[in-house]
Amino acid sequence: MPSGSETVLFAFQCITVLSAVGVALLPNVLHAAVALLFTLVGVAVMFLFAAADFVAAAQVMIYAGGVTMLVLFAIMLTHFIYKAKLKDQGMRLLVPGIVAFGVFTLVYRGLIDLGRWIPQNAPEKFAEFSSSPKTAAIGDALLGNYLLAFEAVTILLLGALVGAVWLARPEQ
Amino acid sequence: MESAAFAHSLQGWIGFGPLWVWAALAAFAIVFLVVLPLGGMATYAERKVAADIQDRIGPNRVGPLGLLQFLADGVKMISKQDFVPPGGDRFLYALGPILVVGGTISAFAAIPFSQYLVGGDVNIGIFYIFAVTTLIPAGLLLGSWSSANKWSLLGGMRAAAQIVSYEIPVSLCIMPVILISGTLQVGQIVQQQGWAWSSELVSQNHFWNVFHNPFTFISFFLLIVAGLAETNRIPFDLPEAESELVSGFNTEFSGMRFGLYALGEFVEVFVMAGIAVTLYLGGWHIPFVNLENLWVKLPTGLIAIIQFHVFMIKLLLIVFVVMWVRWTLPRLRVDQLMSFCWKGLVPLALINVLGTIVWMILFKGQSILQMLYQVSSGGH
Repeated sequence: MPSGSETVLFAFQCITVLSAVGVALLPNVLHAAVALLFTLVGVAVMFLFAAADFVAAAQVMIYAGGVTMLVLFAIMLTHFIYKAKLKDQGMRLLVPGIVAFGVFTLVYRGLIDLGRWIPQNAPEKFAEFSSSPKTAAIGDALLGNYLLAFEAVTILLLGALVGAVWLARPEQ
Repeated sequence: MESAAFAHSLQGWIGFGPLWVWAALAAFAIVFLVVLPLGGMATYAERKVAADIQDRIGPNRVGPLGLLQFLADGVKMISKQDFVPPGGDRFLYALGPILVVGGTISAFAAIPFSQYLVGGDVNIGIFYIFAVTTLIPAGLLLGSWSSANKWSLLGGMRAAAQIVSYEIPVSLCIMPVILISGTLQVGQIVQQQGWAWSSELVSQNHFWNVFHNPFTFISFFLLIVAGLAETNRIPFDLPEAESELVSGFNTEFSGMRFGLYALGEFVEVFVMAGIAVTLYLGGWHIPFVNLENLWVKLPTGLIAIIQFHVFMIKLLLIVFVVMWVRWTLPRLRVDQLMSFCWKGLVPLALINVLGTIVWMILFKGQSILQMLYQVSSGGH
């Protein structure tokens, strides 16, 4: 008999996987984008169950809230892209299917191998981890050990921002 | 003040039953006893405020003073035909309002109505609220697109662009508070805004954040203005500008689906006001009074009730100002809206963040009132 939280986790795992399948197979590209939204929210819930609450909130804010909006905008502003018919249905399923199966096998084997490295006292360590203040630790790490990487990323993002403004400016 | 504190304390008061039952009950209590009646009463209050400002009487037929008008409206909406426009997308049409209401109501889980009345005082607190509310523009955009109506789509596009743009000044306006508090946890942010009449406690409590330093004072008003835009309120209600777009993103919606959109909008105003009260106006604190430390020992339940009412008074005052603004100011143009955000609010908010940083370094994080108290008491 699984506990309450295990049932909730299983429900969200089902949502995540089913909507991921939907992203790949739905014929309407807008429906696929909405399925992507559900996949990303489902992944955020996985993070929550791994006691990574900051990452979960960031996942919802940036991916579910930001990237999905961008995808939706792009689809809606492209003329009739949602009415496009894909003709090569057979090949569309075959080649990605083989690739997906191969990747799945590799990841599965990798996970089985990883399982051997799980320490004996994993539940206690997890309990200790999930009750520790992670937000402050993330802040300390970003502005301490990883300051250079953090600053490099901010400069990269600033460059992207300036570039976007430059691309979008009206023609002189 | 652990996560799911409300469920814990419910379990503690009743004394039995598994925690998840109490957590579910707490969630239902928040939604059905606080959020939905608030949204309903807000529609009544909005009409009464409008009537007062325009020198009319307003709704006065259903119930005493027309107070039950929102129930009658609810019955009307539920009994209307559930209609999906031909050519529309049935699934997305149903999903839009649900995303909007889901996004707003989830935010209530982390709003501290009182020290003991908070759904979950989670570690990421304010960040959680902003994360779940990012689902709202997606709901507006999908609902508008699935209506197969160009006015709707234009309104939805405007809504999404506006909300995404104004999220930046709103986020920048909460930064000074986070700098001062050093935490994202809403319970702690409120706790620090108390006031203690003794020099050893004064260093921990710095009174309301809005009076912490000149930059937070400006930042509070910027937050309210940006919040107006974030919730699509006049003067920023371009997504539903009725003179241009019929009714914007909700043009094709009727019955309870329209009701959900309207409810979501009203409740969003409460969320924004709740954030402003929590971050800047001291949350559930009564000015210069510490309920935990009076000459009589108050029971916990009574403290919770008093704090809840103090919080709601502050929140409703802000909501009243929002309604007042609605019947006072005309609507902006789209280009004015965007340049106001990017050339007005964002630079000002950035200056506030930098100013707060400098203040924190120069005066070791003390607020104006703390320094005045130490000077007046001949402190060190």
